[in-house]
Amino acid sequence: MASSVTGLGEVVLDHGSGAKLSGELISFVVDTLGEVYIGEMEDSAMLSVPAGRIAMTTDSFVADPPFFGNGDIGKISVCGTVNDLAVVGARPLYLTLGMILETGLPLARVHQVCTSIRETALEAGVQIVCGDTKVVRKGEVDQIYLNTAGIGVFERAPLRMRDVRPGDRVILSGPIGNHTVHLLSIREGLGFEQRVLSDCAPLNGLMDLLLTTVGEGAVHSVRDVTRGGLAAVLHEYARASGHAVRFEKNRLPVQFETVMATDMLGINAIHAANEGCLCLFVDPAAEQDVLAVLRSHKYGAEATTIGEVTADADPLVLMRDADGRDSVVEELQGAELPRLC
Amino acid sequence: MGKIAVLTNDLQGDVVYLTPERTAVMADAQPHYIAFLDEMRRRGHTVYHLQLINLPDDPNANRRADGTLPLQRDTEGAAILPAFLGDGDVIVEKNKDSGFYETKMHELLQEAGVETVVVTGLQTQICVQTTAADAFFRGYNVWVPSECVVSDKPEDRDRSLSWLAGYCATVASSKEILETLDTKGELPRMVVKTLP
Repeated sequence: MASSVTGLGEVVLDHGSGAKLSGELISFVVDTLGEVYIGEMEDSAMLSVPAGRIAMTTDSFVADPPFFGNGDIGKISVCGTVNDLAVVGARPLYLTLGMILETGLPLARVHQVCTSIRETALEAGVQIVCGDTKVVRKGEVDQIYLNTAGIGVFERAPLRMRDVRPGDRVILSGPIGNHTVHLLSIREGLGFEQRVLSDCAPLNGLMDLLLTTVGEGAVHSVRDVTRGGLAAVLHEYARASGHAVRFEKNRLPVQFETVMATDMLGINAIHAANEGCLCLFVDPAAEQDVLAVLRSHKYGAEATTIGEVTADADPLVLMRDADGRDSVVEELQGAELPRLC
Repeated sequence: MGKIAVLTNDLQGDVVYLTPERTAVMADAQPHYIAFLDEMRRRGHTVYHLQLINLPDDPNANRRADGTLPLQRDTEGAAILPAFLGDGDVIVEKNKDSGFYETKMHELLQEAGVETVVVTGLQTQICVQTTAADAFFRGYNVWVPSECVVSDKPEDRDRSLSWLAGYCATVASSKEILETLDTKGELPRMVVKTLP
């Protein structure tokens, strides 16, 4: 962090009181956000939206740890919101930003998060239109929690889960498991954090390139693979389509060091959270075109087909091993617990 | 040819005597383990003891059932057990599982010209594994003496030794390690295998 911000002091309870200190905190946040903040400090943002249909999403962000090797909770918040809009085929436009800050949090950390939000918003081409700050007592949050809402517009037909059909290819835009391994490694000091980085990235540019290039009808539905991992997405689609979804274990894109880490920890990469990976359900006739476009983009360079939606009207998720045997992937009740001391 | 260093993990009362089963497993391993450390010292190799110290403000530090924090700096339970200490040994504080995570370990080893590390201690399945993996990622040649790593459960130790041998370390008996040193003058670097 720049030396000009390290002597800023820390968040105090009165920063959330609504009085003068609150105004100073808000000004600090707004100044750091810079040109991505277009609010006018009214009680509501007043925006122009193109005529037609909009997409809207909301999300809350709790990261442990909130600051990690190649990002922080600020970056995650913009990427998560933007990606949720992009995967339904909308062009992300505006985000709100709610911050819950722990008393004692260095203001330099607030600056760091806001800088990440600014830089990620610039990359994604979105603007922050309004926000809110609250301060809680020490121990009531882990440093900082964020909440966003996002609005996007449809300039093409929306992508919907209900359009997925038997025969559709299942494609991943990149490796799975890295975000979980990276954060866990920093949290526990496992030694993988420099080799396995978080995949956190805004994917609306990738989605826009894809949908513009391959044309309508090629991509039936897309999901951002986050909490619950790939397995949760595949279960969701199996239920929605009413058909089994099968993937091949050997085709899963998993970085070697992530294989090491998940093997050590006794977890499965298919259950691990990601923050920059898309799962696409694609018309089989368009499979190669989709792969070519994804691979031409920096966030899709390792895109690969992992399986398909089958004609089997039993909404299971099946994993095919190297010998061609299928096994059922059970849906987890809760989080998979890593094997730690 | 680079130097060799022995790394120990968590040879501290609060760790070693945490449970009766671990105390018993360690009691079995201790004579052989100490003998190995002495043999390595006799051959001129430095022993670095990684000392796990919990920081009071670390929300992820493992606490006792009563909520108190073990392994706090300058407490008896955090001290390296005297039976394992020898002349010339170096103690390096760590605050997380891997001995290289935000510690001076890599810097010290580089200054000493170390290229090979022999990783020992407990528990095999986390502190030993992560220290070994971290060392491997940093370019060290990693060896693990199979009787000088300890886990509460034998299946955890065995699984971990398989993992180490499969990904990042040469696993051998301490006898084999000493014989290799005496006959070859070095510990050959492992060829990395990729498990299916």
